[in-house]
Amino acid sequence: MKGRVIKYERDNIDTDVIIPGQYLKVHDYAELATHAMEGLDPDFHSRKGDFVLAGKNFGCGSSREHAPIALSHSGIKAVLALSFARIFYRNSVDGAFLLPVEIGEDAYRAISDGDELELDVPNNTVKNATSGESYAIKPFSDIISKIIAAGGLFKYRPDGD
Amino acid sequence: MGRTLFEKIWDSHIVEDRRDGPSLLYVDRHLIHEVTSPQAFEGLREGGRRVRRPDLTIATMDHNVPTEKRSLPIIDQTSAVQMQALEKNCADFGIKLFDIHSPNQGIVHVIGPQLGITLPGTTIVCGDSHTSTHGAFGAMAFGIGTSEVEHVLASQTLWLEKPEPFEVRVDGRRRDRRAVTAKDIILSIIRKIGTGGGTGTVIEYRGEAIEDLTMEQRMTICNMSIEAGARAGMVAPDERTYEYLRGRQYTPKNFEALVDSWKDTLYTDGDAKFARTFSMDAGSIAPQVSWGTNPGMTCDVTESVPHPEEYSQDGAQQRGAAKALEYMGLEPGTPMTEIALDRVFIGSCTNARLEDLKEAAGVVRGQKVAFGVRAMVVPGSQMVKRQAEGLGLDRVFLDAGFEWREAGCSMCLGMNPDILSSGERCASTSNRNFEGRQGAGGRTHLVSPVMAAAAAIEGRFVDVRGIDLGTV
Repeated sequence: MKGRVIKYERDNIDTDVIIPGQYLKVHDYAELATHAMEGLDPDFHSRKGDFVLAGKNFGCGSSREHAPIALSHSGIKAVLALSFARIFYRNSVDGAFLLPVEIGEDAYRAISDGDELELDVPNNTVKNATSGESYAIKPFSDIISKIIAAGGLFKYRPDGD
Repeated sequence: MGRTLFEKIWDSHIVEDRRDGPSLLYVDRHLIHEVTSPQAFEGLREGGRRVRRPDLTIATMDHNVPTEKRSLPIIDQTSAVQMQALEKNCADFGIKLFDIHSPNQGIVHVIGPQLGITLPGTTIVCGDSHTSTHGAFGAMAFGIGTSEVEHVLASQTLWLEKPEPFEVRVDGRRRDRRAVTAKDIILSIIRKIGTGGGTGTVIEYRGEAIEDLTMEQRMTICNMSIEAGARAGMVAPDERTYEYLRGRQYTPKNFEALVDSWKDTLYTDGDAKFARTFSMDAGSIAPQVSWGTNPGMTCDVTESVPHPEEYSQDGAQQRGAAKALEYMGLEPGTPMTEIALDRVFIGSCTNARLEDLKEAAGVVRGQKVAFGVRAMVVPGSQMVKRQAEGLGLDRVFLDAGFEWREAGCSMCLGMNPDILSSGERCASTSNRNFEGRQGAGGRTHLVSPVMAAAAAIEGRFVDVRGIDLGTV
């Protein structure tokens, strides 16, 4: 998974700024996507990112699944953050919208806005193609890996172990 | 070794346990509303599935509903479509719905306990993050996303990773039981442990100051567990819990037998171990007012708006505070009591129950809302509204110049007609002061009902310990 990163040097990016409440009535995902990050960054779409990079507690607040949907349908493949709020994390994976990737302080500090990244989930690394540096990412737990591999919660079948 | 209350409830709901992995947990109660359920029902239809336990599923309309002129058609067509979709989905799948005209309609987290649907020792989920409210009854209650809503509709179960038990102790007694409220306790806790302080945990609130609280006050505390990042929050049930539930519309017929079994099991064993503990003294808590854009950015009403470098040693937090002050239009060093308000909102699943309205009415009785301030009271449910009107509280508010509305989420979340205009500053009894939460550009200060009421009268925040709070 390769692409350009949009960096927000900010903790507690909540789901109200990712997709403000007035758009929760919008059922068309393409239209929903046009309002992604509207509460935080009016230039979000013109920055043409494939990844979002942010600080602690990303996706806190409301349980709205519209948040990962809006990001995903804006072309965001993964959010890299120091930590995630739990509901956003599960929503991202359950609907197979995007990958919520936990990174360390080293990657958070060193990766700059606009850098080209290569996310290598099987090897638990993210490479900054712009600088050539690689960083470890936190491996997904067993259940999360399986839901991701299955392509979402409704495709996941327990394997009888 | 002994187990915590949370661990006992978790263990008793395991359908399937995976070694070192997730558990499949049974869901006792599933609450649904119009905003996070439509795609879940679409998914059910596409998959050719039915609702596994419609009898354990309860629906209402709260997020979108207008809070006035209920006899007229809904003006906002997209909201009307979501409400009609819920009506159709509930009819098609055999789910009980308290629609906009039902006497039981209200905010989902207000009606569950009021109707006796919320019970100790149960697992309760809803596609809404403030589901943690129901933990006040010793239930394990938490918010889920729409994919999980569909999973529960289809299977009455969820795959979950086990959170850790987190003990939050509030010992001692509040200095002033009218002026320092449950809202001030929970804001103080979040201010100390941070908005991510409870991540990966289920909080159990314990200690003398918690046991001292009424059920409605415990709901205020548990409601905001999510604002500390916790999965859920709970309080062990006691006589007060059972007394609250006795004789309600949906309280089970074998209630007394259930109480006996709850008394035998629903407590944290003396030798149980919490993964973490946080303690604070209730006597140290003052009335709280938030100044920033998350619920942790809160201070005592007697303090001043902080300088970002005073707020934290951490660079990221300092930048966050500076951005928050810019959004809020506040200058560091301004006394909180000098902040002038445009709007006052008394409502939401945090603080719109009967006791909240009684406390607020005590402050406003015989007074007038300050010139230039628009103030509204939105009861949490139609039942709360009727009870309040039975006590004459509607007259108290209306005579003072407040608007008196129909039940709903209202101005808590800016997705119905009740919103702030850009730049408007609001004292709000709700739970989130995020940017744009109450309307794009709106500025929210989180406070208790008595603080909101006093702010409406004075037009600014006041130390409510120093004023006449009236009789309740």
